[in-house]
Amino acid sequence: MTTLWDTTGSAVVKELAAQRRTGGAVLSGVALTLVVVADESRVAEAEEAATHAAEAHPCRILLVVRRQIDAPAPRLDAEVLIGGRLGPGEAVVLRMYGRLGLHAESVVLPLLAADAPVVAWWHAAPPDQLSTDALAIVADRRITDSSIPDDSLAALKTRAVDYAPGDTDLAWTRCTPWRSALASTLDSVSGRRSEPVEVRSGRIEGDPGNPTAALLAGWLTSRCGCPIAVEESGRKPGASGVDSIFLQLDQDEEVQLHADRKGSATISQPYRPDATVALPERALGDLLSEELRRLDTDEPYRDPLEAATGVTGLADRSPVREYVWLDPARENGNGARPRKRAAAKSTDS
Amino acid sequence: MIPNPLRDPRDRRLPRVPPPCALVVFGITGDLARKKLLPAVYDLANRGLLPTNFALLGFARREWEDEDFAEVAREAAREHARTPWREEVWEQLSSDITFVPGSFDDDAAFDQLAATLGKLEGSHGIGGNAAFYLSIPPAMFPTVLKQMQRTGMAENTPERWRRVVVEKPFGEDLPSSRELNELVDSVFSADDVFRIDHYLGKETVQNLLAVRFANTLFEPIWNGHHVDSVQITMAEDVGIGGRAQFYEKTGAARDVLQNHLLQLLALTAMEEPVEFSAEEIRTEKLKVLRAISIPEDMETFAVRGQYEQGWLAGQRVNGYRQEEGVDPESKTETFAAVRLGVETRRWAGVPFYLRTGKRLPRRVTEIALVFKRAPHLPFADTDTEELGNNQLVIRVQPDEGVTLKFGSKVPGSVMEVRDVSMDFLYGEQFTESSPEAYERLLLDVLLGDATLFPRNAEVEASWTVIDPLEEFWAGTTPHMYRAGEWGPRAADEMLAAEGRRWRRP
Repeated sequence: MTTLWDTTGSAVVKELAAQRRTGGAVLSGVALTLVVVADESRVAEAEEAATHAAEAHPCRILLVVRRQIDAPAPRLDAEVLIGGRLGPGEAVVLRMYGRLGLHAESVVLPLLAADAPVVAWWHAAPPDQLSTDALAIVADRRITDSSIPDDSLAALKTRAVDYAPGDTDLAWTRCTPWRSALASTLDSVSGRRSEPVEVRSGRIEGDPGNPTAALLAGWLTSRCGCPIAVEESGRKPGASGVDSIFLQLDQDEEVQLHADRKGSATISQPYRPDATVALPERALGDLLSEELRRLDTDEPYRDPLEAATGVTGLADRSPVREYVWLDPARENGNGARPRKRAAAKSTDS
Repeated sequence: MIPNPLRDPRDRRLPRVPPPCALVVFGITGDLARKKLLPAVYDLANRGLLPTNFALLGFARREWEDEDFAEVAREAAREHARTPWREEVWEQLSSDITFVPGSFDDDAAFDQLAATLGKLEGSHGIGGNAAFYLSIPPAMFPTVLKQMQRTGMAENTPERWRRVVVEKPFGEDLPSSRELNELVDSVFSADDVFRIDHYLGKETVQNLLAVRFANTLFEPIWNGHHVDSVQITMAEDVGIGGRAQFYEKTGAARDVLQNHLLQLLALTAMEEPVEFSAEEIRTEKLKVLRAISIPEDMETFAVRGQYEQGWLAGQRVNGYRQEEGVDPESKTETFAAVRLGVETRRWAGVPFYLRTGKRLPRRVTEIALVFKRAPHLPFADTDTEELGNNQLVIRVQPDEGVTLKFGSKVPGSVMEVRDVSMDFLYGEQFTESSPEAYERLLLDVLLGDATLFPRNAEVEASWTVIDPLEEFWAGTTPHMYRAGEWGPRAADEMLAAEGRRWRRP
């Protein structure tokens, strides 16, 4: 590990190359570059999760921490690690001070692995409009986490308004075990009946303010074609915000799923005795690993997002985002709006 | 599959989960069950790939209660599982575990087994679906299969499926394999018989198909115009362990060459399947197996060997004849190497050298395509002295990956070309640790996907290749090699006869 204080982007590139050469048998191939944008207060969490994900998906990790955007002089501190604290591969922790934070891509671009996909993950409150962060433009896949902001439903709506193909949210990733349990339960009902099933109505009991519960309800609504909402439950649900799910099927049958607080859930279904499935709360690193497994657009995320937020027309969004210059120092809350870079060039520092 | 409103083909986050079913294992106390099957079941459960209504039923001659069995299974799974141990996953799985004691010729025990399966339908909702895993010596097959027929356990109905999983060896020659196939097919329908060749469950073997058929780079050179020869090696550093009784009458050719190596050859040499489906892939493999020709000069091109006492990995090891339970005059081979041809337009004239052996220096399995040398080199002879043939090597295990070997200039003021290698290491580029072969294959059985399982016609075609070799070898004494060597001298001479040499894997 080498730490470079008050350095430049080229020095970091050189140091990375030098370490690769002297490091002996290091990983030679990477499948992707993972750019992590984290707040200083969440760096440890982000490092742990990225390390875990890198074990499953060898990647180059670039951790970007923007600090003191109003510092008078821009400054870059970098830590270059190969096969160290941040997993078996290459990792660079970049701390950017002052207005350099607004031009993070100038440091990140030369550090990207050649011709490999780029995934950007905000382990922080992401910008309302992702295109105001140049790192989002560079990335092929963008991962946000709507459970971080206090008003998660508003955050989810912001994501829907800003949606472009290639975006996903960890709130959606947290649905997967629930979705998988529901889908296989319906498989077994239809297998027993030897004919397709239809869902007539249903509801979710849990925390209506939870983005995962909202997306799960959105998913059921969009797949089943009947409105399914999240209702307040009597018990406090886990991180997914879901306590129970009730689905009414077309032959007067009911399917129920109840979380049992011990990392599993009970399934009540017609024709069969109750069964238990494991539904553990997954660590951040596991969620991130699931995201990295596939690097193409996650279309099945789009419909639930529409259904959960009421924002429509997501299918027509262009996958290409255009960079929008936004200077936080000039944003005073009195109607300062993001402007296109061309218009703002003269005032750009 | 019946459509399900919650299933979306684009939604690849949701795993393929089999329908409710039971897995019945005969011979659950055996080595394979403990080291491979039970851990694989746990790993599947841990990855959320087992149906919610699942039951594991063990059958063996032990006076065990369900709890005793659950305890044994727990130890086995815990010791050999690939994925991290999670007690809560096991607890859930253990409530699905049932044990039925009895011997294979005991009618009452099988009646009880059938009754238990019926009961599981009520208590576990398995929907009558069941896969029977015969983890038992082939000699027991007739007894067990007849019992299953008698109790009606093997019957498929529109409401339920019943499948059977058979392990190698699939017979010991063509007639016995036919007999076995007929027996299994008389009880189960051909589509419900899954013959496990665990090599086909390995990620790299499946990757061979991806490398060949998903790229434009390799297909144009994948033929006799460019390929000089193909070498397929499966080497083991271990001896025969405690399997003397089995090995004495089997030998390396029947144990490994007949199944693993010929399957690898078939995958390497086959034409592109019309689509990536079980039926089409098996059809193409079968064509290759039927096109295999055996050498005329068997003396030179079919070599078998047996290890003598020697040193391996810093330890002194016994010779084969000194192993416990082996006849001191034994003529069983522990090494086999053979030169085969594939008589198709693509491969005519290209030798396929296959070898396998025990007590070789390291455990390695690989497929190497050795390319022809450039017809003309514009360099001086001395410049290219260290340049060999270009090679493409598929490393099946360990270090799963692909190596490409080609010539490159040595830095310096003179022109000098030397071989270098470019490595693709699976674990490095990808993503998820590869599932164990048994994990993948068990899941495929429960899903009813037969892509990775050889069909009985393939097994029979393989025996047609092996039988003449065995006939030639019968009564001869194998060539001796020291444990820790890459096989007997005769194997090297076999390649030297045609001006080639074995790659050191």
